Amino acid sequence: MLNSIIFSYTTFVYFAAFMFYLLAMVMNREILARIGTFASLVGLLAQTVAIILRWVESYSLGVGHAPFSNLYESLVFFAWTIMFLYMIVEWRTKNRTFGTFITPLAFLAMAYASFSPNISSHIQPLIPALKSNWLISHVITCFFGYAAFALSFGLSLMYLLKRLDREERNNIFLKLIPGLRILDDLNYQMIVVGFLMLTLGIITGSVWAHSAWGTYWSWDPKETWSLITWLVYASVIHSRMVRGWKGKRIAILSIVGFACVLFTYFGVNYLAGLHSYAK
Amino acid sequence: MVKSKSKNRSNVIWGFFSSVKLIIVLLIILAIVSILGTLVPQEEGAAEFARRLNPAMLRIFTSLDLFDMYHSIWFRVLIGCLAMNLIICSLDRFPATWKRFIARPEPDRTKPFDHLPPQQSFLAQGTPEETVNKVNKLLQSRYKQIREKEVGANRFFYGEKGSYSHFGVYLVHLSVLLILVGSLVGSFFGFDAYVNILEGEQIDTVMLRKTMKPLKLEFTVRCDKFTVNFYENGAPKEYRSDLSFLVKGKEVAKESLLVNHPVEFMGITFYQASYGSAPGKTVRVKVSRNTARPTVTDMRVESGESIVLPGGEGKFKVIDVRGDIMKMGPAALISVQPNQGKPVDFWVFKQGEMARKMLPGPMLKSPKFDPSAFKPYTFFLDGLETKYYTGLQVNRDPGVSIVWIGCFFMIAGLFVTFFLSHKRIWVHLLKTDQGMKISAAGTANKNPVGLQRELEHLTNDLKGLFQGSSNR
Ligand code: HEM
Repeated sequence: MLNSIIFSYTTFVYFAAFMFYLLAMVMNREILARIGTFASLVGLLAQTVAIILRWVESYSLGVGHAPFSNLYESLVFFAWTIMFLYMIVEWRTKNRTFGTFITPLAFLAMAYASFSPNISSHIQPLIPALKSNWLISHVITCFFGYAAFALSFGLSLMYLLKRLDREERNNIFLKLIPGLRILDDLNYQMIVVGFLMLTLGIITGSVWAHSAWGTYWSWDPKETWSLITWLVYASVIHSRMVRGWKGKRIAILSIVGFACVLFTYFGVNYLAGLHSYAK
Repeated sequence: MVKSKSKNRSNVIWGFFSSVKLIIVLLIILAIVSILGTLVPQEEGAAEFARRLNPAMLRIFTSLDLFDMYHSIWFRVLIGCLAMNLIICSLDRFPATWKRFIARPEPDRTKPFDHLPPQQSFLAQGTPEETVNKVNKLLQSRYKQIREKEVGANRFFYGEKGSYSHFGVYLVHLSVLLILVGSLVGSFFGFDAYVNILEGEQIDTVMLRKTMKPLKLEFTVRCDKFTVNFYENGAPKEYRSDLSFLVKGKEVAKESLLVNHPVEFMGITFYQASYGSAPGKTVRVKVSRNTARPTVTDMRVESGESIVLPGGEGKFKVIDVRGDIMKMGPAALISVQPNQGKPVDFWVFKQGEMARKMLPGPMLKSPKFDPSAFKPYTFFLDGLETKYYTGLQVNRDPGVSIVWIGCFFMIAGLFVTFFLSHKRIWVHLLKTDQGMKISAAGTANKNPVGLQRELEHLTNDLKGLFQGSSNR
């Protein structure tokens, strides 16, 4: 199908973008970073088109639904949200070094979706429980939240790396990373956006569960893990607001938070429950 | 409530629960406990897991309620601590927030103007009065609490916006409490039950999940029809129950129930949960008359209906139908009423041979299990006509609306806390020989980038005011 072909090309385009951003930093050549931005934009555009195509295609197969309903589609959407948010951040900060740390995440998500033998790219019809408009808002909010946390993860890595920067080291790569203050502020902004979106995601998920099963909260593993993630980020926000923690500690907590996100997303499939896409 | 605050503050409990360190500790503990809850199977899954534990471990697990920890006492105590923490911390901090909310700083403060970047001041041509008026008008249209002050050649303005953003945090914390209250209300005043209804049948009692006790409803529900559709690949597409609701025998409403489209009637909500098939009332039997000239008759019989025997020796009816009896498959209880004498009742199995082998000796001899108990007939059960039943989840939860209000407050509160800030703006006008020197500065309780943008915006608009006049 055309859409999955475009998706696999997008995977390579994101990889190319990553390479350009990386080389730009290693060789200190701004032009390469610009090519990286161009590649990212092309990839994002192609991916957007493919998502729309897939949506249309599902209607022509007679099972029409928004393309957010299985692991393949969610991974593709995850990559899309990461790139979308990243493009906004790059545009707002006018700094291209973030790309080196963030585009590989989008690439990995796409690569996993396109090349893992366990993931089917077929358009599948929706089972009755998934037929709900809340599904669409649930997936969109959750994945924007996950993407913001992914960016925060990238920024935290940058922060920890930047701390190694010393005048006498004269390492171009480290020098090009923006200052600690900027990274820390941006990191917190991403956490805040992610937290708001995750909260919305959990709420829309509860509303949906309530209309499908009659309970808004059933402590199924996926729900519980999203709550765990939420609690971790709530404590990050509190430790910053109330305890005044900054910098390194926030960066480390944010990495822990992203590990929870990944577990909520993938790990839970190994625990049984209502949500497991894997089967 | 907080009459003598100073006294309360010295209180140990107050001190403990107003600690902000406790929040972080509690949030982390809750996270860890929840991780445990996803590793140890809960409720239904627990039995399998428990069998693999040794007795000592099992005792520890059960005494700590680890198999149903989200409903255990200690989990509730933990949630209670969180709620106490929230309430007391909020009460403790509210007075300070209120002070910050109503504080009205002097218009002629100069500190905000320290280290002012040069692009935030400019010279304006025009008479001083005109200039002051214009600035005043712009500020009035954009900010609240405008105040001004004249000190010699200096003119100061103060204005602010977003002062309500101080309360966003309280809204978030209140929302957490509301959600907790909503779930409590649900568990005290609501119920969680299920019921299966055969197509064409009606029920007025449902089974409570927690206690496994029946609960009588104030109305009757009938399932008129159940349908299930499949996609070409065999995956289910739609489950649909057409239900009628009857009050005192009178039909009041007819609704279609689908997954994701629950139906509410008199405060009780029905959800499509499952389905299955069960024997209906129609039975197919073979009646053989074992005389010199044997005859075999196939019949479709509604249970309860009286049928004349083929030879006219009496009548029979099916008085009970079971989909499976003692693991021996479908069976029907047949009652033959001879023209004279007492009725003869006996079970007929579909798999008659198997039943014969499995039945214990004494039962085999009993006429109750002999399909030829009424001579000269032998009855055979050909089949039961199965019917769909619909499996419904039946809930009442008066707490749900409180939970949804809490969710709404949470989003609104997070939005206010994260994206709005209390911005205080000072504008300074200084009479000089070249004209009025105008500068703008400000403070904000958070989001310094947003403040910077606001100031740039304001300075631009102020500049715009005077460019317009010089063109005229
Ligand atoms: C359980 C869920 C909770 C959530 C979602 C939550 C959320 C928040 C948020 C979003 C902020 C604002 C951070 C900012 O200004 O950027 C905040 C601040 C705060 N929270 Fe919580 N909170 C929770 C529990 C608690 C609890 C149990 C306490 C107990 C005392 C607490 C005390 C505070 C305090 C003192 C602040 C700082 C307020 C200030 O800026 O003056 N929170 N919380």
